[in-house]
Amino acid sequence: MKVMNHDVDRVNLKLLKTAIRFNARILGLTAGTLAAVVIYIATQASIVKWGDDSGGYLGLLAIFFPGYSVSSIGAWVGAFWAFIYFGTCSWLSYRVYGKVLGTRISALLLSPVSTANPVLKPSTLRLHGVSLGIAIGSIAGLCLFASTAWLVVRGTAGESVHAALFSNYIPGYSVSIMGGLWGAIELFGLVFLACLLLATVYNKVVKIRHKTS
Amino acid sequence: MSRPIRDHEILSAVFAKMDVVAMSVAVGSLCSLLFFLATAVLLMQTAPENYPVGEHLSDLSDYLPGYSVSWAGALIGACYGFLFGALAGFSAGVYWNLTHYFALGVMLISSAQLAD
Repeated sequence: MKVMNHDVDRVNLKLLKTAIRFNARILGLTAGTLAAVVIYIATQASIVKWGDDSGGYLGLLAIFFPGYSVSSIGAWVGAFWAFIYFGTCSWLSYRVYGKVLGTRISALLLSPVSTANPVLKPSTLRLHGVSLGIAIGSIAGLCLFASTAWLVVRGTAGESVHAALFSNYIPGYSVSIMGGLWGAIELFGLVFLACLLLATVYNKVVKIRHKTS
Repeated sequence: MSRPIRDHEILSAVFAKMDVVAMSVAVGSLCSLLFFLATAVLLMQTAPENYPVGEHLSDLSDYLPGYSVSWAGALIGACYGFLFGALAGFSAGVYWNLTHYFALGVMLISSAQLAD
C-alpha cells in the first residue's frame, strides 16, 4: 500500500495494513447491521401503520433489493440486502479513508502520547475531515452513479420520477448516464463538505469533553 | 525530520474508542442542518401559485408529526433531524466500541488458547 506521506520507510506497514483491514471490517459490520435493523423496522412499521396499503415509497427498494416487498418475509430480505450494500460501502469507505490517511492515522488520537496499553486502555478517536470527506464522498458518488446506471440499464429511466427529484438538490442531475456522472461529482462535493462539518463538530466536542475531565 | 511511528501508536489508533456523546452531537447537528436545508431548498425555488411544493417530502409527516414543507416545518424537521441523527450517532458509536471489545475478547481468547 502506498501511503500518503513520507514516513513510509519508518512505519511497520504490515501492521498498518492489518490495522486498516481490521477497522474496515468492524465498520462494515457496524454499518451493515444498523442499516439492516433500520430497513427491518421501517418495513414492519409500514405494515403496522398501513396494513394492505403499505409499501408506497418503501416498495421502490425492490428495484435495488431483489425479492424485497413490504411484507414480513420482505422485511428479512430487505435487512439482508441492506446489510450487504451498507456493509460493503462502509468497508470500502474505511479502506479509502485508511489509504488517504496513511501513516497519519496515529496522529488522530486525543492525546499525542499513546497510552501504555493501547488495547486495554484505549485512547479516544478523532476524525480527519478531509480523508473522511474523500472516502465517504467518493463512495456516495459511486453509489449514485451505479444506481442511476442501473435504472438506465433496466430501461425504466423515463419512469423513475422519484429518482429524478434529486435534481431539486443536485442541479443538473437526471436519470441518464451523463446525468448520473454529473450528479456523482456534485454529490461528492456535498458529502465532502458534510464530512468536514461532521469531523469538525466531533473533534470539537471531544476536545471540550476531555479538557474538563 | 519527524520521529518514526511506533507499533503501539498504530495499535492505539486502531483500538481508539469513539466518543459516543461527541458522535451523537456531531451526527445530530449534521442531520438537523441537512433536514432544514432539504426543506429550505424547496421553499426557495420559484413555483407557480397554488402549485404543491414538496409534495413527496411532505409525506414524511406520516412518520414525523408536525412536519410540513414550510419554514415552521423546516424548524420542526431540524429538531427531528437532530433527534434521529443523535440516535444514529449514539448507536453507531456504541456499536463500534462494542464490536471492538468483542473482537478484542475473541483475539485474547484465541491467543490464550494458542499459548496453552
